[in-house]
Amino acid sequence: MNFDLFKKTLANPLALAGFIIILCILMLALFAPVFSPYDPNEIDVKSILLAPSSMHWMGTDGLGRDVFSRMLYGGRVSLLVGLVAVGISTAIGIVLGALAGYYRGWVDTLIMRLVDIMLSIPSFFLILAVIAFLTPSIINIMIVIGLTSWMGVTRLVRAEFLSLNEREFVLASRTLGAEDFRLIFTHLLPNSLTPIIVSSVLGVASAVLLESGLSFLGLGVQPPQASWGNILTDGKEYIQFAWWLSLFPGLSILVTVLGYNLLGEGLRDALDPRSGSNK
Amino acid sequence: MLKYLIKRVLWMIPMLVGISLISFFIMHLAPGDITNNEAAFNPKASEESRQKLREMYNLDKPVIVQYGLWLKRMATLDFGNSFASHQKPVFWQKTDKEGNVTKGMIQEALPITLLINVLGLVITLTLAIPLGVIAARNHMGWQDKSITLFNFIGFSIPGFWLSLLLMYWLGVVNDWLPISGIHSLNYESLSTWGKIKDTLSHLMMPVIIPSITGLAGITLFIKNGMLDVLQQDYITTARAKGLNEHRVVYTHALRNALLPLITIIGLSIPGLIGGSVIAETIFAIPGMGKLFYDAVLMRDFPVVMGVLTIGAALTLIGNLLADIAYAWADPRVRRGVVRN
Repeated sequence: MNFDLFKKTLANPLALAGFIIILCILMLALFAPVFSPYDPNEIDVKSILLAPSSMHWMGTDGLGRDVFSRMLYGGRVSLLVGLVAVGISTAIGIVLGALAGYYRGWVDTLIMRLVDIMLSIPSFFLILAVIAFLTPSIINIMIVIGLTSWMGVTRLVRAEFLSLNEREFVLASRTLGAEDFRLIFTHLLPNSLTPIIVSSVLGVASAVLLESGLSFLGLGVQPPQASWGNILTDGKEYIQFAWWLSLFPGLSILVTVLGYNLLGEGLRDALDPRSGSNK
Repeated sequence: MLKYLIKRVLWMIPMLVGISLISFFIMHLAPGDITNNEAAFNPKASEESRQKLREMYNLDKPVIVQYGLWLKRMATLDFGNSFASHQKPVFWQKTDKEGNVTKGMIQEALPITLLINVLGLVITLTLAIPLGVIAARNHMGWQDKSITLFNFIGFSIPGFWLSLLLMYWLGVVNDWLPISGIHSLNYESLSTWGKIKDTLSHLMMPVIIPSITGLAGITLFIKNGMLDVLQQDYITTARAKGLNEHRVVYTHALRNALLPLITIIGLSIPGLIGGSVIAETIFAIPGMGKLFYDAVLMRDFPVVMGVLTIGAALTLIGNLLADIAYAWADPRVRRGVVRN
């Protein structure tokens, strides 16, 4: 990842906005205990379904818990799931893509067919089916999302390796007798890193969306632990009397996912020499 | 062309085998015997039904044999009967000894999901094509920038949240549209026209909301396609010939920009089917998504496996149709000049 690319990306106002959004949300989630005025799981029967006020910035839910505090802790969960899931899928994608792109032949055929098969099964069905047989928990969700979203990275890394393999510096290194291991880790992988980062940033966006969808359906993060998705489940319950329970979590998901999408697309634009934004 | 088709169809066989392997693997993820799992979560499961299940999946036989038998059942599209819904057949109707026909669960749910997705696709394309063309023709102009912003929001907005908000605004506050099911309670008493109107008004939100979120991707795709095509030599030639701009854009350029869209639509099928879970659950639409979700909650094992497999098979068929349509629409592929 070179520094110039980063500078070029942040010169794009949309990407900069995305970067700032991500930074703010990371901070809020990281320092959730500092910022949250209440214990997120503290039930207070005297203050059920209170509208937003100076006491409770985002109101309270059906059990009298402070929504703002729950949002902060829920943000932690959403980001953690997003980042770990993408870590898993990227790791799998790099290994399989590298194997396919470097060794080619039957290894490549086998891995690419596996990619095709995985892509033909509706991934949301696959995730739900797996969750149905395991118990829903944060760890399982991260693993399942990771295990069902590595196909894009695999294709990407493979394509990078295939094209890098033909480049002079790789040929030179190979002629000098570099071993496979050395070629992969010192030449091919570092040079494929930038597109991998772009796809990871965009991957976080879709993982956060997936997690919130699963939690909304009750098959993700389990109450009483807060997540943006399961606060929305409550929101649906009380939609006629408590708009704040639906508005804030949805907005947070939207803004977070938007942040990652903006930064990811900005990075992709900065990478692509054909794109028109080279000022 | 025929050779290509045959090759393409034969290619589906190893894919189906792979899909069956993955679903078989998932089936064995459950800790212990799946019948225990079923009994633990589903109080309706009797010892008799558990025994049936053990026989059906041949759990007493070695894993390889189990897989072989599962593959055989899949090939005959036999997914067994549901545990939770009074032994309804999972896939297709069955006739018992007295001649009573029981409809299959997928048989009932699939047309609804297909209808919603086809209607949604029509809406998406009707809006996305003009938007994409406008964005490409005014590249970097204000139209393009606002469409880009709209796309970013479309990519990022959680569909279930948008559904909740619109449900609240259109259904609860204003009572303009029904918010659940596909028919009203008095459906049977309505005239034919009334029935159509009733169904359409029920389908309005479930169809439109996914189209809004799907719009972003297709619009972006058409914009990029148009930008590519508009730079090509034959467009310059068409302009140099003195054709008016409208003709150049809409007949010369758009046709080529739309071609890859066929493939994209084919590839988006698994997403559409998977996405139906949330929309159908929120609006209580009895389609494939809701069927699957309910089956997951009740650990209704045969239904989960059936919907998973049929969903994957549909994706393969969709991709096949997309490839055929592409070959048919692109004379270069049709005449075998270039390979698809």
